[in-house]
Amino acid sequence: MEHEQVEKEVAQKSALIYLPISIGSALLFLLATAFSGDYPIMTRVGGMVWIGLLSLIVSMPVVISRVKKQLQGKPL
Amino acid sequence: MTKNISEITLPINGMTCASCVAHVEDALKELPGTSNVLVNLATNKANLSYDPQRVKLNDMRRAVEDVGYAIAIAEQTLDVRGMTCASCVDHVQGALKELHGVQDAVVNLGLNTARVTYIPGVVSTASMKRAVREVGYEAQERSEGTDALDRERQAREDEIKIQGRNLIIAGTIGLIVMIGTFYDMAGPFKAFIPVWLSYKWVIGLLTTPIVFGPGRQFFSNSWRGLKHGVTDMNLLYATGIGAAYGIAVINTVFPKAGFGGEGATFFESAALLTAFIILGRWLEALTRGRTSEAIRKLMKLQPKVARVMRNGREEEIPADEVELGDVILVRPGESIAVDGQVFEGYSAVDESMLTGESLPVEKKAGDPVIGGTFNKTGAFKFKATRVGKDTSLAQIIKLVEDAQASKAPIQKLADWVAGHFILGVHLLAVVVFIFWFFFGYQMFFDPNSSFIMSPYKLGEIGVFGFSLLLSVTVLVISCPCAVGLATPSAMMAGTGKAAEFGVLFKGAEAIENTSKLQTIVFDKTGTLTKGEPSVTDVVVSGLSLVNDNQLLRFAAIAEKNSEHPLGEAIVHGAESRGLQVTGPDSFNSIPGHGVEANVNGSEILLGNRKLMKERGVDFAAMMSQAEALEVDGKTVMFVAVDAKPGGLIAVADTLKEYSAEAIKHLHKLGLEVVMITGDNRRTADAIARKVGIDRVLAEVLPQDKAEEVKKLQAQGKKVAMVGDGVNDAPALAQAEVGMAIGSGTDVAKETGDIILIKDDIRDVVVALEVAKATMRKVKQNLFWAFFYNTLGIPLGAGLFYAFASVVISPELAGLMMAVSSISVTLNTLLLKRFKPSVGRGHKPKQGSGNAQLRPATASVGDD
Repeated sequence: MEHEQVEKEVAQKSALIYLPISIGSALLFLLATAFSGDYPIMTRVGGMVWIGLLSLIVSMPVVISRVKKQLQGKPL
Repeated sequence: MTKNISEITLPINGMTCASCVAHVEDALKELPGTSNVLVNLATNKANLSYDPQRVKLNDMRRAVEDVGYAIAIAEQTLDVRGMTCASCVDHVQGALKELHGVQDAVVNLGLNTARVTYIPGVVSTASMKRAVREVGYEAQERSEGTDALDRERQAREDEIKIQGRNLIIAGTIGLIVMIGTFYDMAGPFKAFIPVWLSYKWVIGLLTTPIVFGPGRQFFSNSWRGLKHGVTDMNLLYATGIGAAYGIAVINTVFPKAGFGGEGATFFESAALLTAFIILGRWLEALTRGRTSEAIRKLMKLQPKVARVMRNGREEEIPADEVELGDVILVRPGESIAVDGQVFEGYSAVDESMLTGESLPVEKKAGDPVIGGTFNKTGAFKFKATRVGKDTSLAQIIKLVEDAQASKAPIQKLADWVAGHFILGVHLLAVVVFIFWFFFGYQMFFDPNSSFIMSPYKLGEIGVFGFSLLLSVTVLVISCPCAVGLATPSAMMAGTGKAAEFGVLFKGAEAIENTSKLQTIVFDKTGTLTKGEPSVTDVVVSGLSLVNDNQLLRFAAIAEKNSEHPLGEAIVHGAESRGLQVTGPDSFNSIPGHGVEANVNGSEILLGNRKLMKERGVDFAAMMSQAEALEVDGKTVMFVAVDAKPGGLIAVADTLKEYSAEAIKHLHKLGLEVVMITGDNRRTADAIARKVGIDRVLAEVLPQDKAEEVKKLQAQGKKVAMVGDGVNDAPALAQAEVGMAIGSGTDVAKETGDIILIKDDIRDVVVALEVAKATMRKVKQNLFWAFFYNTLGIPLGAGLFYAFASVVISPELAGLMMAVSSISVTLNTLLLKRFKPSVGRGHKPKQGSGNAQLRPATASVGDD
């Protein structure tokens, strides 16, 4: 039970970190397309989604494992 | 700041009284961050509260150990399903190690096992299984022996069946999708293909069940892991398949959406990529089990039933129910159920499957028999002396399993690289996408360019479609699955192959260290030599009236009552020549010099030259012969008959049969061979000359052997010590590799990194050759694994697109990765053909016959 509680807390706290990172990366990409060429809107959106997804994949495991270690205090 | 206080109950070993309780309590109380320490002698447990930020479990363990007690440690092996790569190993290992109370966890990809060392009571098997499940895999406790074998085989067959079914679905539909996609290029075959098969929505409909059927495993597994902060190869596949399928659906349903339209519907990429990845997994499941064939063969040797004598009747019972002291009956052609001692009957037993000894071993009353070996000719009865987990076979299986579950240093590095690779690859996919989106497409894109090995043009794919395509290809082509398999598969095959020859490596590290050895140090007595003196020469004086046999007989009779080792050697020497050794008429021992006796009326004086001098017997004529024998390392005894020189008897510790041959082979392998002994320099040099030893360390006391090994190591040499596993234990431990020779099958008692079951020094050569062959295989495998990735990543990232205008398609990338895993596994399987260079008669028939089907039931014919 305690373990599940910790997992829940880890998931919530991590999401607060990796989601902004992913969304931020995606928006940054969108911003870059606005300044660097004449891309159609759907192309920009497609790129933004792909970058957002990859950023999520990269940041999620890194953030979750760090938050977990922090919360568990790494007893061993 | 709130304190995070936890409570814990630790099982304590070694407490016998109240003062022990106080010691343990004090030790734990002294640690910072502990409170409410309560130790209970009756339950052997310590309860305490502690602050995990300030004190770790390992601190508690050390504190308890420092005062002379121990926290009980247990070991549990879990069968883990669903692991496919080195990063999976990392995740499962990480999940287990994170558990409070787990001391260590070693995961083996090849065996699909996790060996967990833990503190009972602090962590349970259930929580271990849950932790494994939470990172996306399945785990269950492993049982011993044949049950484990059945379960392992069942799991592998299930995996082959599941992936085989997936392959049929994905392969068949994928082929139809490919035909539909390339309809326009079918030329004369167009007539046989219905035109509707080329419609994008039809191709999409066909691809959908592949992605959500056989391909679903990649999405569900990667999501389960991702949720808990872990990434594995499933994620690479899921991202690749998902992106290809998603963009194809958008371009089919909304062709004007701006993602490349109908020219960029890569349904065939999603379909074939899935099919190829599954093909790789299916082939891997088929071949992977074969690398652990040796252990399976050993397990197969375990007989299932035994016929025992109970209450005066023969009873057939399961072999694991045989009890110590049970009388077991064995007929010709049957397997022996457990270890024991023959007390009636005579037979020859084939022990090759356990010891590698090719010739059948005679068994008569008083001889030991080993469970799992095969009775050939006669019938006999034996009494069970070791049963269940204590049998030699069970010990050997455990040892080989432990070795296969361990990790070589090179594997730890490869696992670390592969484990961190996935995230790196996703970052690379981001970089590749950004480069081609903002720069590459504008600079290099050619609408007439195509995929490698495909006439399919990229056409109006658009900047997003093109960048996405390369990004996805990088994800797929970077899969480090072959890297993860490279080392463990070779180690498994190597340790198994060595076990076939009676050479047991205690761990993968022992294999790696053995392959790097430069110097082999042999203990002399009992290792290079038989360890017991025997008569080597009988030289009769020219003045003597007796011949050599008579001289030896006289000497033996004189020594009959002697307890001196040299005297015993003379008696044995005479007996082995068939001479009758009766008792002397009178006998007198002259301490430090020899003996005198009256034999059939002759006065026999036997001893050293000092004795002869004192008694005035002139051996001057034989002195040169005596000295020549002594230079050869032999001890010379002078024999006088009736106060006249009778002759000389030389006694020496003789070389073992294969010592010289083994050392010759070691030299061929480029190793320096050193002999270490407590003998004097002259004797030691003589032995060394005979076998071709390079260097002799003589007059070394037993306790100083480890120090001599250390001195060699200080010269920068990688040293192996070969010796008796009991007497030479400190030197074996000091050396990089300790080899305990001639241990027999009671392997659990042995020290050393390598156990050589037979008393055959040539097995040192076998150990070295197996280790070198295994490490060669590891290096070849790692080369091929990294070769595929090194070549594939730039290819996938479009590095050559600027010059060649071709890109690799995601499905071809998937096929390449499947091929990389298969080539590594197949390369490992070549180790099965390994044969040592030293002569061995025929190859041992490990697992010959089927012990499971041929019960170890027997009764003695004349019973």
